[in-house]
Amino acid sequence: MSADAIIVTGLYQNQEETLAAVEKIQAEGFTVTEVHSPIPSNALARALGTKKSRIGWFTLTGGIIGFISGFSLAVFTATRWSLIVSGKPIISWIPFFVIAFELTILFAVLGNVLGIVTQVGLPDPDYEKNYDPECSGSLYGIEVASTPENAECLKDLLVHTGSIKKQRENK
Amino acid sequence: MSSTSQLTFETINTTVLNTLTRPGKAYWCIIALMFCGAVMGASCWAYQIFVGVGVAGMNTPVHWGTYLINFVFWVGIAHSGTLISAILFLFRAGWRNPIARAAETMTVFAVCIAGLFPFIHLGRAWLVFYMLPLPNQRTLWPNFQSPLMFDVIAISTYLTVSSLFWYTGLIPDLAIIRDRSEGVRKKIFKVLSLGWSGKTGQWMNYSRAYLLFAGLATPLVISVHSVVSWDFALSVIPGWHTTIFAPYFVAGAIHSGLAMVLTLSIPLRKILKYEALITMDVLESIAKTIVFTGIIVGFAYGTELFIAWYSRNTIEMETFWWRAFGHYAPEYWIMVVCNTVIPLLYLSKKIRTHVIPLFVISIFVNIGMWFERFVIIAGSVAHDFLPNAWGHYRPTWVEGGIMVGAFCLFFFLFLLFVKHLPSVSMTEMKEMIHHKTE
Repeated sequence: MSADAIIVTGLYQNQEETLAAVEKIQAEGFTVTEVHSPIPSNALARALGTKKSRIGWFTLTGGIIGFISGFSLAVFTATRWSLIVSGKPIISWIPFFVIAFELTILFAVLGNVLGIVTQVGLPDPDYEKNYDPECSGSLYGIEVASTPENAECLKDLLVHTGSIKKQRENK
Repeated sequence: MSSTSQLTFETINTTVLNTLTRPGKAYWCIIALMFCGAVMGASCWAYQIFVGVGVAGMNTPVHWGTYLINFVFWVGIAHSGTLISAILFLFRAGWRNPIARAAETMTVFAVCIAGLFPFIHLGRAWLVFYMLPLPNQRTLWPNFQSPLMFDVIAISTYLTVSSLFWYTGLIPDLAIIRDRSEGVRKKIFKVLSLGWSGKTGQWMNYSRAYLLFAGLATPLVISVHSVVSWDFALSVIPGWHTTIFAPYFVAGAIHSGLAMVLTLSIPLRKILKYEALITMDVLESIAKTIVFTGIIVGFAYGTELFIAWYSRNTIEMETFWWRAFGHYAPEYWIMVVCNTVIPLLYLSKKIRTHVIPLFVISIFVNIGMWFERFVIIAGSVAHDFLPNAWGHYRPTWVEGGIMVGAFCLFFFLFLLFVKHLPSVSMTEMKEMIHHKTE
């Protein structure tokens, strides 16, 4: 996108219209930079070529760290006072596995949250840029990049594809 | 669900956002009443701290009383929230969507309240840090071979996970409120919604994260109540030392939690005009699940008696005979009737499709589940191995005050929630109707 490119946003009433519009806009040679929607849509993600989420790796890493931490914590605390209680060995696998399991879940969830922060991009202080509040309610918003010369042509195309609202322009 | 087929994205937004308008006088009166109840409970606790834990009815041989009964009861209540929000999400049960948010909220508040009771039971609550694995000058560390230490880790993990799961689910809905409010309210929701804008990439990652949350919460919920049951089962007390305790506690937890979901949902749909979202079909599905969990719980009661008889262990047999016909027989039969017999009334379609019997039976199940905890906890230690160590336990007014205060605190928090945050997930409802019309 060149430095003087502008973003035009069109609003659509449902997913089918939005999907058809995205395909048409892309076929006309414009770049769809983003789609805002009130619900998740795999079809839209495929149309935009959105990459597969990598959050699972954060979760898995968190889980592994949690298991090791839980087990290590239990072993460490037991070895600080090596007194046999109720005939159980100092390093007792089964009770310590319970602690390891709980911390596996805890750290996996914390890894998941870290994934949300880094992959979903939250918190996003600049969310209002190109965003129409209607998109959280019931409408779908397509952001399309264009050169200033092609802006009028793009607006016509958006109206032609079913955009229901006057388009906004943002640099 | 016939009525949900007429819903649109707009009507869902309008219905839910209308519940967040300025409440009337009746709401504030009930809030004030619940707040006074919570303060009364806190005062009773303060009195106990000041005078000593002797003001509670716990004494030799029953050292575990209503504080731990309430702890187990509230942990159980919490579990159904996770069942509805996580396990039914993984099973793609559509009827969960209208009640999932309220159930998750119930989980968060119930775990917080459950977590208070070990502090109260402890007496000297300021020494609770002894239970935490913190480096200290005395080089004393917690012993993780103890099931009580499993509890500390499990409950704190459960509280963290359920709170994060609840908040993550709220983010898209908070953005909806942000986009439709002004002034200070907009500023607050701007911060809370973290700048959510529903981009395709955001949704892709968010959906994956939510699925993983549900996948992790599911084994957690089963493990947490199993851990709570091991507080008892890993001891040698007759009536406690049994391998059925973990599944028995988990089934009981879900049974009580589902009943609490009904108790909360029925007034909620009437007062907040949610009839179009929380349909009779949804309530009916909960009632059917309660019949299922009631049968499991009934089977567990029967198994306990059978195992006591089949073991030919004199003390075990005596304990269960005493439970059914001894000092705590009324509590025992309240438990049996309320948890296994009364829920069977839901087998009648007429009963499970009418809000009043639905509501009344859910209250009975709640009462029955509280008594189940009473019978398990007080019953076994009151009548263990040696006749000269037998004794009875009755809660005192301090314990009663703290218990009533806990219930008031729960309803106070829940009432605050329903008027300030969306009590039905707008996003999940929209997804549901979108998939139906696809």
